[in-house]
Amino acid sequence: MALELHPLEQFKTAKLIPIHIGGIDASFTNASLFMCLAVVVASALVILGARRRDLVPGRWQSIAEVSYEFIAKMIDDNVGHEGRQYFPFLFTLFMFVLFGNLLGLTPYGYVFTGQIIVTFALAVVVFIGVTLIGIIRHGFRFLSFFVPHGVPFVLLIILVPIEVLSYFIRPFTLSIRLFANMMAGHTMLAIFGGFVAVLGIAGILPLSVDVLLIFLELLVAVLQAYVFTILSCLYLRDAIHLH
Amino acid sequence: MDEHEKSDPLRELGERLDKARRAQQRPERAAPSEDTSSALAYGLRVGLELVVAIVVAVLIGWALDKWLGTRPWGMIGFFFLGVAAGMVNVYRTVRGLGMAVGYRRDRKTGTEANWDEDED
Repeated sequence: MALELHPLEQFKTAKLIPIHIGGIDASFTNASLFMCLAVVVASALVILGARRRDLVPGRWQSIAEVSYEFIAKMIDDNVGHEGRQYFPFLFTLFMFVLFGNLLGLTPYGYVFTGQIIVTFALAVVVFIGVTLIGIIRHGFRFLSFFVPHGVPFVLLIILVPIEVLSYFIRPFTLSIRLFANMMAGHTMLAIFGGFVAVLGIAGILPLSVDVLLIFLELLVAVLQAYVFTILSCLYLRDAIHLH
Repeated sequence: MDEHEKSDPLRELGERLDKARRAQQRPERAAPSEDTSSALAYGLRVGLELVVAIVVAVLIGWALDKWLGTRPWGMIGFFFLGVAAGMVNVYRTVRGLGMAVGYRRDRKTGTEANWDEDED
């Protein structure tokens, strides 16, 4: 018996509804399906949770309130009060990544946050948005961001390019962190899952490892959504306050 | 003797309050080596910071070379720039200066130090 399933098979995108518009392949894939699902589930949770507004919240209302307050507090702590106007975006970002990660863990699920292009697109949206906010708020003064304070002029020739480069590296580290965590976890689950069928009765061992790994992956799914959002918050703080 | 007995419950309460406060307060910044899984994550993060900086810099240098026809020089220059930027980023991460570009000291390093440990 060979390993029938390749551990990386799960990351393949499958075209569910082929759509071609003017030579561009815009097919509806399983990744698109799960993105739609993430949006629907996250929206349903918040909308249904906010429908009944009891003073003593029920279960659904609690979930909606806790997630709202979690992000609101994160913004207050990391960006400050000016950050509140960006709450809708950051909340959406958090819920989208969180439900992308969590839905990927469901059986027959597909983890779209395990695709570098998805996380990179998200990170680039954050990066461009934050840069534009910085430029709109501060105009040319935004460029002073790249000039370290109190450094002799000769050193500036070296330091400014380094600062600019580390600024442009941000979307890459942001996207690779999320993508690598999700992909590594799901590959590990698949590898141990592959052993289960091969080993027969001894397959109970890798199966128990998988059960434990699922809990770890649940933790990682929530944590990475949190890390993604808090890093976006920190970038936003830089843009608003220029330190 | 009388006085001692009177102050005892108060002192006891104070001690209990102190203990509860200490238990609630999270340690300012635990050493990353305290437990292996977080140390591994910390190491991975530092590695990611360094490697991504170099890779991105080399790619930029390569693209500039292709565009301007300055074959090896852009790539060589940007390689060293990438190493420098990577090291600066690693330094910032380790010192808990956060992801901020620039060297101005951050007043709110506490929050950033916390999320440092929180990452898996």
